[in-house]
Amino acid sequence: MDYISEKAPPVREERLRACNAYGGPSDHLVEKSKKGCLNGIKRKFSQTQGCQLNLSLAIINTIRDAVVIVHGPVGCGGGSLAQAGVNKGFKQLRDSGSRGLLWVNTNLGENEVINGGEANLREAILYAEKEFRPSAIVIVNSCVPAIIGDDVDSVVEQAQKEVTARIVPVHCEGFKTKIQASAYDAVYHGILRNLLENRQPELRTEEDELELLKEKYQASRTINVLNVSSMSRIDEYELVRLLKALDLNLNILPCYAHPHDFYKATEAALNVSICATHDDYFVEHLKEKYHIPFILRTIPIGVKYTNRWIMDIAKFFGIEEAAQRFIDQEVKQLEEALAPYRKLFKGKRVLIGGGEIRVVANAELLTYLGLEVIGLRAYHYDQFGDEMLGEQEVVQRIPFNVATGQPFEQANLNANLKPDLYMGHVGTNVWAAKQGIPVLPLFHQSQLFLGYTGVFEVARRLARILRNPSFNQKLGANVKLPYYESWYEQDAFAYIDEGNIQA
Amino acid sequence: MSKFIERPRYLCSMGGAVATLKALPKAISIIHAAAGCGGNFGNALNGATGYLGSGYCAGQALPSSNVYEKDIVFGGEERLEEQIANTLEIVDGDLYVVVTGCMVDIIGDDAVAVANRFKDSGKPVLAVETGGFKGNSFKGYDLVLGKLFRDFVAQQPVKDKQTVNIFGLVPIQDVFWKGNLNILKALLNKLGFKANTFFGEGETIDNLKQAGAASLNIVVSDVYGIGPAQIFEETHDVPYVVVPLPLGPSSTEEFLRQVGAALKVDHTLVDQVIAEEKAHYYGYVERLGDVYNDLDFQRYSVIVADANYGPALTKFVADDLGWLPELVVITDILSDEEQALVADRFRGFASGIAPKVVFDTDTSNVSKHFSAAWPRNNNARYFDSFSPAFVLGSSLDREFAESLGAAHLSVTYPISNRVVLDRTYLGYDGSLRLIEDIFGLLVGSR
Repeated sequence: MDYISEKAPPVREERLRACNAYGGPSDHLVEKSKKGCLNGIKRKFSQTQGCQLNLSLAIINTIRDAVVIVHGPVGCGGGSLAQAGVNKGFKQLRDSGSRGLLWVNTNLGENEVINGGEANLREAILYAEKEFRPSAIVIVNSCVPAIIGDDVDSVVEQAQKEVTARIVPVHCEGFKTKIQASAYDAVYHGILRNLLENRQPELRTEEDELELLKEKYQASRTINVLNVSSMSRIDEYELVRLLKALDLNLNILPCYAHPHDFYKATEAALNVSICATHDDYFVEHLKEKYHIPFILRTIPIGVKYTNRWIMDIAKFFGIEEAAQRFIDQEVKQLEEALAPYRKLFKGKRVLIGGGEIRVVANAELLTYLGLEVIGLRAYHYDQFGDEMLGEQEVVQRIPFNVATGQPFEQANLNANLKPDLYMGHVGTNVWAAKQGIPVLPLFHQSQLFLGYTGVFEVARRLARILRNPSFNQKLGANVKLPYYESWYEQDAFAYIDEGNIQA
Repeated sequence: MSKFIERPRYLCSMGGAVATLKALPKAISIIHAAAGCGGNFGNALNGATGYLGSGYCAGQALPSSNVYEKDIVFGGEERLEEQIANTLEIVDGDLYVVVTGCMVDIIGDDAVAVANRFKDSGKPVLAVETGGFKGNSFKGYDLVLGKLFRDFVAQQPVKDKQTVNIFGLVPIQDVFWKGNLNILKALLNKLGFKANTFFGEGETIDNLKQAGAASLNIVVSDVYGIGPAQIFEETHDVPYVVVPLPLGPSSTEEFLRQVGAALKVDHTLVDQVIAEEKAHYYGYVERLGDVYNDLDFQRYSVIVADANYGPALTKFVADDLGWLPELVVITDILSDEEQALVADRFRGFASGIAPKVVFDTDTSNVSKHFSAAWPRNNNARYFDSFSPAFVLGSSLDREFAESLGAAHLSVTYPISNRVVLDRTYLGYDGSLRLIEDIFGLLVGSR
């Protein structure tokens, strides 16, 4: 894979033939995905989603010592207003001196739509440099500049000669794709082109051979673990714990990293993703350009996939035996700790919604804890889900709904499947709550979900939530969702139109 | 040419339109825009608004045509028509309003014509062009209200003398809108009038539909709702009056007197209402006579707010709390004429306090204006420092407050560090709530 000479990456409909509209049994989905015939399914009724730009900000807003420029009309990036308050605290968990979230909107108005917005962008860059002296200025480009023909890259090229901050343009125009996850490629594309290239070798006052050897050895035992903005600092500590036990060092990227940290990424021995949906573009390019191998197969959620994640890494370093000993010991302790919880969960039926990799991994986790998974919903679907979804026997015949949001389909599924629990992504949970269903959030930026201790924490939280679901029960009894009763009598996937499939 | 804005405290005109419709009972927005516009609003209209939530049919439930590249190339009207038809099938609403985003406005989709085809067949569907490049949230409010007043409010040749409409208080952008509207209705009620606020508790879309029968429109803003008030006057022959936002007992008294005069209410009734309300208010404030003076609760203050809250909060702290507001930053995008109208509200405070008022949209500039307004200590042994101090603003201004060592309360959008339900800061009751919140912080560590 090498798109780095291009200004912008291809969108995922093209690159991965990803789809965001499907409803049917899981096994059919995997079968169709393998044949590549999901692309192009549409909805005749749709609800809002989120776009590349929104999701790009989920990563970019976490970068320390950076200023974000949203090149667009004044509302683009407005979602950051809800993040500004907590962002500083999360950054300070990585560096206590971190500043909070800083962004500038180029405020394109009617005049700019007619005459172009390049001048606004240039002024915003110069302002960001002068006002904040950041290490990086990250520009997210919205729909309007793309359609009016602003040449963002030329503005950047000129401005880069005048500012010391590294300028990172991210081409994430919302209208270009329905697959929000294209954002990850857009962000990594910007990072690959602007934070990794033209590196200055570190100057040393004295060359010490022993030191150099030590560094080389360290690098050979160092892996880049690619985090996601939906995980917590405690999740990261758990991954550090797991790999330290195998005597490995970690660089954690890209979320909450400092712009300079990306330089270091090219020195590691291995790239390890926790979510293929998030990272395939980045690790493929690091392999192509810097010859760093990668592991992209699974997410360390639940025992099965945490074991697999560790073993895949161990295989690379040839330390399978040590890893197996560690795993056995961890699983044994965990099993003992989980024993009292399993009986609480036995027979509880759950619908899970969120990112494709995460929901499939959580299906395995909740099955392991004794729950019955009765439906899955994923923001989008592509080949990266096939292995994990295909191998879990108990979910083969249950409905799988591919939908970015689309709470009307979720409401229909919940009304008809009547789960005892909904486990979902931010923004989707409220709709289940209003149907009176207890909710376990799929992630939380202050809670632990990953690794072995994550399994225990999920069990502990789930037991707590199920112990008193009165809040949601009362909510369900007293508020109504916005759909006509007749909607619940229809098939949940009635508005998915397969007529246009591009085989 | 417009200038960039550092950390703008509003969305675009479509965001404001969606917020306005989210607040309107059982109105359904259908956004004709790219897929991310609504998702972006969903975040800004929940986490930055005292946790307003997704609402009845907003957040991720917002019907949206989710047009993408192909529709932008070939036109999105067909997709919009399909989306409207199917929204009518699934979503239970009293009024469906199509609001358009930048892309479809730029390519020239005629959303109004598409919506009219539904309207002509008897469906309650309207469309407003709200492309984000037209302006900010406040503009979106004005565009939606203007459209509703022109095309939805029914013609009522016979006016009801005892009914008025109140607007200019921008729902959600005023995070305390719902509680505030309750207070405005109650104040009008005390003068013997029924008030439609369109967005208030217990109101339905019918209150809006029948609003043409009102005898007067009361606009509680110098700049927002004025355009719609003019449209209302042209379309329904109802005059309007602009009055101050009644925050604090002094402004509330002024509000009651001005509204009373415009409605030709008997003075004795106005006097009586004011007397009763003040007795109620001071019956509680009297309690603070001890702590205010024992612990010296006078504060220097900085106020960072929109065009509605800025003057109202400042007058309250100056004329009612006896504080010293030294700097006010109004963060809205305003024309010179609008700035002059807002600046005028800061003149003639009874306390004689005249704060420095600046108009600046950029968050970091607040501290620069402060440095210009109050000298820094250059190692002087005896220095008149800006202390003790209090900052009233949004959650974005917390860092500035920390830099001054000042207490801080989020009162204006965005508010992410408080939960707001029916709290109000208007009228006499709201002033008591604001005092509880402000002084509550001052005793918070005791």
